[in-house]
Parts: sequence; C-alpha cells; structure tokens
Amino acid sequence: MSPELISDLGLAPKPAQPQKPAAPPPPVFKPADGALQILGILQRDSRIIDFLMEDITSYDDEQIGAAVRSMQSSARDALVRYISLAPVIDGVEGTFTKAPSADAAAVKFLGNVPATGATGGTLRHRGWRASSVSLPPLNPQQDNAIVAPAEIEVE
Amino acid sequence: MPYVIGIDLGTTNSALAYVALPAGDRTDAPNANMFAVPQLVNPSEVADETLLPSFLFVPGEKDFPPGATALPWNEHPDYVVGRLAQKRGSENTGRLVSSAKSWLSHSGVDRLSALLPWKAPDGVKKLSPVEASSQYLAHLRDAWNSRMPDAPFADQELLVTVPASFDAVARDLTQKAAEQAGYKNITLLEEPQAAFYAWIERHRDWRERVKLGDLILVVDIGGGTTDFTLIAVLERNGELVLERVAVGEHILLGGDNIDLALARTVGERIAAKGTRIDALQLQTLWANCRTAKEKLLDPDSKAKEVPVTILGKGSGLVGGAIKASLSRADLDAVLEGFFPAVASSDMPARARRVALQEIGLPYAADPAITRHLARFLSQEAAASEHAKQVRRGPSGLACPTHVLFNGGVLNSTFVRERLLSVLNTWLNAEGFQPIQSLSGEDLMHAVSRGAAYYGTARHGKGVRIRGGIPRTYYIGIESAMPAVPGMMAPLKALTVAGFGMEEGTDLRIPDREFGLIVGEPAEFRFFCSAVRKNDTPGAMIEDFGDDLEELAPMEVQLTGSGGIVPVSFETVVTETGVLQLWCVAQDGRRWKLEFNVRERVSS
Repeated sequence: MSPELISDLGLAPKPAQPQKPAAPPPPVFKPADGALQILGILQRDSRIIDFLMEDITSYDDEQIGAAVRSMQSSARDALVRYISLAPVIDGVEGTFTKAPSADAAAVKFLGNVPATGATGGTLRHRGWRASSVSLPPLNPQQDNAIVAPAEIEVE
Repeated sequence: MPYVIGIDLGTTNSALAYVALPAGDRTDAPNANMFAVPQLVNPSEVADETLLPSFLFVPGEKDFPPGATALPWNEHPDYVVGRLAQKRGSENTGRLVSSAKSWLSHSGVDRLSALLPWKAPDGVKKLSPVEASSQYLAHLRDAWNSRMPDAPFADQELLVTVPASFDAVARDLTQKAAEQAGYKNITLLEEPQAAFYAWIERHRDWRERVKLGDLILVVDIGGGTTDFTLIAVLERNGELVLERVAVGEHILLGGDNIDLALARTVGERIAAKGTRIDALQLQTLWANCRTAKEKLLDPDSKAKEVPVTILGKGSGLVGGAIKASLSRADLDAVLEGFFPAVASSDMPARARRVALQEIGLPYAADPAITRHLARFLSQEAAASEHAKQVRRGPSGLACPTHVLFNGGVLNSTFVRERLLSVLNTWLNAEGFQPIQSLSGEDLMHAVSRGAAYYGTARHGKGVRIRGGIPRTYYIGIESAMPAVPGMMAPLKALTVAGFGMEEGTDLRIPDREFGLIVGEPAEFRFFCSAVRKNDTPGAMIEDFGDDLEELAPMEVQLTGSGGIVPVSFETVVTETGVLQLWCVAQDGRRWKLEFNVRERVSS
C-alpha cells in the first residue's frame, strides 16, 4: 500500500507521545542523542530521511532529479546553519601537496605508499573538517528517538 | 550609556535599531546599529535574526513538546512570536495571528475586541489586534533586556513607526499597544519619513544632493502595505529644511500579494495537468515561489526558470513530488499586473459596493501599484495653500524631482526600473526632466534605522523633517432642522485640526460652544480627510460630498452631577505625534475625548 492510501484509510500510526515522565534534573544525555538531533534537523529542514528510506527504483531520473534538486539545497542550508565545514587541506585537487600532519585520521595516503610512509603526493580529496558546531541545546523533556513526528491532518 | 531605539512594527516583519547617544556637544549623530532579535526559530531552538516576523501563534497543549517554547527570559510564554510562529502557523492556520497591523487600522471591526486569529476554531484563546501588536513590542522589549542588561529598555528613548497613512485612531491604538507592552517615553514616527532619515543617515552631505524646491517622493512597498509620501525641500532662516507635504491612503497591497499571485499561476498550471493541490501544498508553493522570485530577480541570475517542486506529502518524497517551475515569463506577467505602464490619469478601480461583504481585511481592489501612485500624485497631493511649494505640471499632477525607494519589494531592479520609467513618462508629458533616484540601501531595515536616527535628531544632533498631522480632522455636527421621514439630518463638519498641525502645538476652536450634560456620555462623530488641506480650524463645512472619511466616534463624559456645562474644543498634537481633542469649560476644567472603537459596526 502507498503511504497516501494508508493515510486515506486512516491507518497512519498514532502520533508519538512526546511526553515522558518528568525528567530528573540534571538531564543526562546519551552519546547517541547528538547524532539523533542532527538527523532530526536534516529531516525537518530537508526531509532527507524520507528520501533515503524511500524505494526509488521505479521512478524515472527526471522525477528523482526534481525532488533531489529541491532537497539538496535545503539540506545544505540546514547543514551549514549548524556546522561550519572547511577542507582539511585547503589546496587544489590534482596538484602536489605536502601533508600538513602525520595524523592518520586527518590525512589518508593512497597508491604506492612506501613502507616508511610518505610526506606528500597528489591531492585527491581535500577532506572535510567541522570547524565549528553550534547545535541548539537538547530539550531534556523530549524523546530524541523521535527523529520526525508523525503528521495527521484534520480536514 | 543612553540609547535611542527605533522600532519598525511591520505588517509582516518587525525590526529594532539603536543609536548610542553621544555625550557632550558632538553635533553629528552616530550611526545606527541593527539589533539581532533572539527568538524561537524551531522548537527548543532560540537564534538571533535581524527581523522579527510579525506572527503570533497561540499554542495548544499538544502543539509543541513540553519546554520547547522556552525563551531565555520566559520558560513558559503564553504565545510563540516570530519565526517559529510563522513556520508552525502555516501548518495550523487556526492558531496563527498574522497582519495584526492591518487589523489595527481596519475601522470595520472592533479593534479592542479579541478577534484574532480571525478564523480560529472555538476554544482557541483570541487576542485583539492591539494585544497582538503589544506582544510583538513586548518580545522586542524582553529581547533587548536579555541582551543589554546594563541599559534597561524602559529607560531608553523609543521611536515606534507607523504608516503615514494611519489615521488618528490607528495611531492612538498603536500607542495603546506600546503602553500595554510597558513602553514609556515613546514617540510615533511615520515610516516613509523614517526611510528618508535612514537615507540622510547614510548621506550626511544630503544638503549637496538636494536643493531648494526639490520634491522627494518616497515609495514604500512592504510585505503587506504600500505607502506614498511627498517631502519638499524648503528654506527657513537661510537653512535647508524638509517638510512632509502629502501622504497617501492606506493601501493593503504588497510583496505577499505578488508571491501569492505567482503561486496561483503555477498552481493553475499544475491543476491543468490534472494534479490537485491542497491548501497545505499551496502554502509550500507560495513559499517556494517567493524564493524562486528572489532568484529570478537577482540581477546576476541568467536562469530562465527556477524549480518550485512540491515534495511528496508523506514519506513518499520522490514518488509524490509534483514537479513545477516558475519561469521568467510567469514572473514578468505577474509583475506586469502589479506595475503596469499606465498614464498618470489612469485611476485605480474602486471596490465594488456589495451589500453583503465578507468581513475581513479591506484589501485593495486594484492590484496595480502604478495606478495607486497615479492617484496619489494627481489627487491626494492636490494643490493646497500649505503645499504651494509642490512642483506641478500643466495637468495639476504633482511632479517630484527625486524618488526614494523602500521596502523588500523594491530590492528588485525590475520593479525599481519600471517605476522610474513610468514616473519619467508622466514627467515628460508634463514637460519636466527625468526623476532622480536617491540610492537607498538596506531596504528591509531602513525604517528602524531611520527612526533611531530621528531620535537623535530630536536631540539636535541631526536634521528633522517638519510634518505635522497628515490629515485634516473634523467633528460632525447635525444641523438643527425639522425631521423629515426617511432622511438623515444633514451633517455639517467642524474643522478641529488642520493639515500639517505640528507636534507639540495646541489650539482653541473659536466661536463654538457646546452644552454638555454632566454625568452622561456625549458622543461625537469624527471625520478626516487627506484631500481637503485648506480647511482652517473652526471652519464649518456644509457640503463635503465624498471628501470626508468617518473614523471611530469620540466620546467624553463630564464627571459630577446635574446641569449643563458649556464647553469649547481644544486640539492638541502631542510631542509624540498623537492627536488629542479636549473639551474645555470656561472655568478651565478639561476633559479629554476618547476614541470609542468598540461601538462602530462595519458599514
């Protein structure tokens, strides 16, 4: 059944109960809460979860293109609003570059890497670094597992 | 340090600008700063934005998760104001208050009664237009206090702007809203004037840019309203001074109308393909068309069309997507409807008089802004003794030398150029040189910046536009005649305040006394006219045709008991720009006439 049909038949899931028993102060957040929060933001502003979870095999490229064009710009707006992204190496891809650090997490060497390691090579990908993150504080009274609330329209 | 704060209480967006008052004898005013207004932008997320959207949402218990509407200064606010109200309100319109300012100036409804949200279902708490406006002002106050704890809001000097076209009642209600929000030391200032002050603030050498005899047209097109004003450059005591010589009618027409027209255009095309879109999808389309319009109007944009795809409603985002796009041709066609090239004699269509009309905002009947401008220059800026400095062509059309644009719609080069070319055609026909455009900047924030600058001007640190009240006001007096069945007693109008009566002045109406019964309310009908500028106080007008517009009645009750007290009228225009009428007895006792906005029913 299509989601529209489900909703037309009134079979849509009940809205999630946002209320939890009064949270004990001080609020304790789980490590996953931040990840759920950013998922929630991306879904709210760009509906990216709907897109990722949808089976798009049967749609033609034009239909997908129209949807993605609209979604990509709102997803980017949402991302840059909360997270400032900068390249790890601010160079030109395809040119010779010296590695700024030996940190394997910051620079990954590919190809014919000598046994002793390398200090430079051709820049293939500049990398991304979150130079600042400014997510709003989590609401301790809210269930973070709800990434997007169900929506019920009263007509 | 003391500040002067300028507040632009807009129909769709409000803004706050401030200037630190310089100590000592500096004669120039320092620059104005925009205040970033902390507000809820999403549930549980407070962020700063330079504009506070003038929207209020009346949250029900289940509208937001608990604690999600907390503000830094109030954990449990009764209402949500600003960006989040606008967002959530588009999904649940029955709880959304919008365009409160337009309701404030709408004489067809009781503006002190709780009537907003206009289409709220039973059980939703309603507010009056005055209360809603007061909530926006209170939000700005609290936001300021949370950011500037060393400079309490109540101690600063406040300027609140109103459209030039607001009549005495709407101004009085704006002042009431400010008082309800705890504002003290407030002064009202007209928006087009404020926009011009913002230009002066940016161009301190303005005396070299305009000269004696110049006439400046201010065109202000915001989200919901359009406002015209004429300012003359005059000379007094050897110095250039500015005087506001004419203001237009209140026109409920603006950028939102343009966006809605675009959404309708695209919506009809979608419907022609057999796809039905519902009210919520139209909202999305409306918002998408606004963004697309801005992209197409960007002078650097070469795009022929911009997609305005409506994504699928449920989790079937791709499957349910309705593909649509807004083309440059669509935009041109819609803008052509709002800004047609018309002759200066081309007047806007008047509202049809229908016996049974749905009560709601009195939107302009004719969407052509250029036709409204033609009427303003040919009729409302009509010849008068007061405005003899107004340059006119052979046909009597007021012919401005300069134009200053303000408001978001005029960010568009297309719109500015169209208005300039229309004005130039008119000027050419009257035998004048083309009009010069005064480059305005920051068209979204100019009004609040200019208001703050004006505040410093009142301290002698900048230039001040002389204006006075933009209308002539009258008290209606029924003729003493034998009653005739089926005929109303003919009404005469006593002029109580002349056009241009200045702030901080008062006058006594000579030779007219009324006997008022003590202890009983006396009601007077109250009228105004933006067209009749030559009636002097005390003049009795017998045959005024359609020139006068009736406002809310005014009433006064003399306290005490027994007897009749002969009184005469006294008119006061306060320093803050509010018109007051007083009854004065011979022994010097005074009673103020209050507007009675409650009793008037829609006519």
